Amino acid sequence: MRSAAFRKEGSFAALLVAPSLVVLVLTTTFPLVYLFWSSFQNINLAMPFLDGFAGLDNYRRMIGDGGFWHSIGLTAIYTLATVVLQVAVGLGLALLVLRIPAGQWMFRIVAILPIVLAPVVVGLFFRTLMFAPNFGILDFVVRWLGLGPVNWLGAPTPALVSVIIIHTWQWTPFAFLVLLASLAALPPDVYEAARIDRANALQRFWHITLPLIRPALVIVVIMRAMIALSAFAAIFAATGGGPGTATEILNLYAYRTSFVTLDFGYGSALAVALLVLTMIVSGALFYMRTARTS
Amino acid sequence: MSDGKGRVTLRGIRKDYGSFQALKGIDLDIEAQEFFALLGPSGSGKSTTLRVIAGLETPDAGTMTVDGQDVTHAEPGERNVAMVFQNYALYPHMTVEQNIGFPLRMDGVPRSQIPPLVLEAARRVRIDHLLHRRPGQLSGGQQQRCALARAIVRRPRLFLLDEPLSNLDAQLRLETRVELKRLHRSLDVTTVYVTHDQEEAMTIADRMAVFLDGEIVQVGTPDDVFNRPDNLAVAAFIGSPPMNLLPGRFEDGAVILAGERIALTHRSERAAGDVVAGIRPSHIRVAETGVPARVVLSENLGETMLVNAEIEGRPVKVRLPEVRRIGDGETVRLVFEPNHIHLFDPQSKRRID
Repeated sequence: MRSAAFRKEGSFAALLVAPSLVVLVLTTTFPLVYLFWSSFQNINLAMPFLDGFAGLDNYRRMIGDGGFWHSIGLTAIYTLATVVLQVAVGLGLALLVLRIPAGQWMFRIVAILPIVLAPVVVGLFFRTLMFAPNFGILDFVVRWLGLGPVNWLGAPTPALVSVIIIHTWQWTPFAFLVLLASLAALPPDVYEAARIDRANALQRFWHITLPLIRPALVIVVIMRAMIALSAFAAIFAATGGGPGTATEILNLYAYRTSFVTLDFGYGSALAVALLVLTMIVSGALFYMRTARTS
Repeated sequence: MSDGKGRVTLRGIRKDYGSFQALKGIDLDIEAQEFFALLGPSGSGKSTTLRVIAGLETPDAGTMTVDGQDVTHAEPGERNVAMVFQNYALYPHMTVEQNIGFPLRMDGVPRSQIPPLVLEAARRVRIDHLLHRRPGQLSGGQQQRCALARAIVRRPRLFLLDEPLSNLDAQLRLETRVELKRLHRSLDVTTVYVTHDQEEAMTIADRMAVFLDGEIVQVGTPDDVFNRPDNLAVAAFIGSPPMNLLPGRFEDGAVILAGERIALTHRSERAAGDVVAGIRPSHIRVAETGVPARVVLSENLGETMLVNAEIEGRPVKVRLPEVRRIGDGETVRLVFEPNHIHLFDPQSKRRID
């Protein structure tokens, strides 16, 4: 009796879950499986006569592909630079704002604004208003300092610096908000004890603040690294990966291979490589986090 | 043992928080190597005074000197003080060993010299077997000992304790009280101790200051404060339960209470006038003759008995040395021991000798 009722209830539950499960499978699992499948095929719209099973050819091709390694290098630079800048600037701002006795809420609200903008909008906004030579705001400042004009998005190194600045501008507020909340929750009497124990401001920061906000720092680093590895829209809108391939991180390279060169097979393999890279990096960071706390 | 002597002087210390006057001009002298308690109810300014001594609060007015040297505006670290906080304020991410060693590291003590000093401090408070635990893995009593060890490891000139026993259970509180006293004797460091528990202050302190509403109402030995309260405020605060305070009249070396004349042996030269008579519950006896009182409630405390009675509608508490049957509503006669009656001026609220 009871098991029959239980079965009935179980099937009713499955019925309730089914619609969302179907949507989930169709929108995430299926594309992912299809991506893996494509990465083992030759699918090239420019040379359709070569289509067919490719085995590991696409992956072998990666090893000898200079463009791939170039984009991996750019991805590493981009991720490392943006994450370090976000954490450093965000933490610095949070420490400053924490000292403001009243009106912290204003900074919290202002900080949310860049986060809610679509990355495409941010990319376009920087390209047209900030970095445009001669009339961009940033270029104006640089010229005023006697250092410009700089062809921000038109020369390889400034372009890479520019996309790093764009990403940092948009996402530092995230680090700022998380770290501000973490700092605000620190126990005040521990700092009083440290002052009595003769720790100066720098020592208090190093020996007390940093270890105590470490969990928040690690979470920020993990989340930001995962997003930076797969960044796309802002760079695409600002430089399109150019000039040349100067800002073409792996995600953009995979996109160009698939949708410009129309080599879907190799593009899929590149996307899988990005997926694996992201999983390895975030997995390693998570491992470091749990290894230290236990 | 400590490098300084540790004589603390406060003059006219004032501290306001917005419109709230936390300290209304505190004058205090704490002698070197003394165990000094700051006693008062919450909000009376005792903790603020301790924080001013520590340098965690800057007074709005007044000066503070230690051994004659003005430290009113000195940073906490420049004062060579150590403090045990009410919630211990241990560094949660450090082990017990690192917690105790932290003041030494900040002092620039060479790394090789730190472990023996840490071990010695930990031994003194008997937590040397817990050195590798973190504060989160310790019981309340162990955390408290860790905070004590961190405070004594550096040999400070002043040792400040902010309600250190209030988070411990009753049994542990009694044990730790004794240990604190012993620790003070062996260290010979001026110790300032904040508490709201008068029994704690009475048993542990050499001298104490009683705080009420941001002011010091009496400074003296526990004996002084208990047996010779300076004013009505202290009389009404000290003792558990505190003194009974009854309006009366002084005439010809006697006090008249509820129509009953009680001859006082030791005060005769004073002019006649209204007084407030104070007498501790344990200095009243139930007898055949005396002031009539109606019993409201009698509480059996095991060894003794506390009788809540009323004399002419005013509550009076009587502590009887033995438990006996007294029915509620019964009328008893109370005898006040004449040499234990304290007199206060109802206008100035000061003690009359």
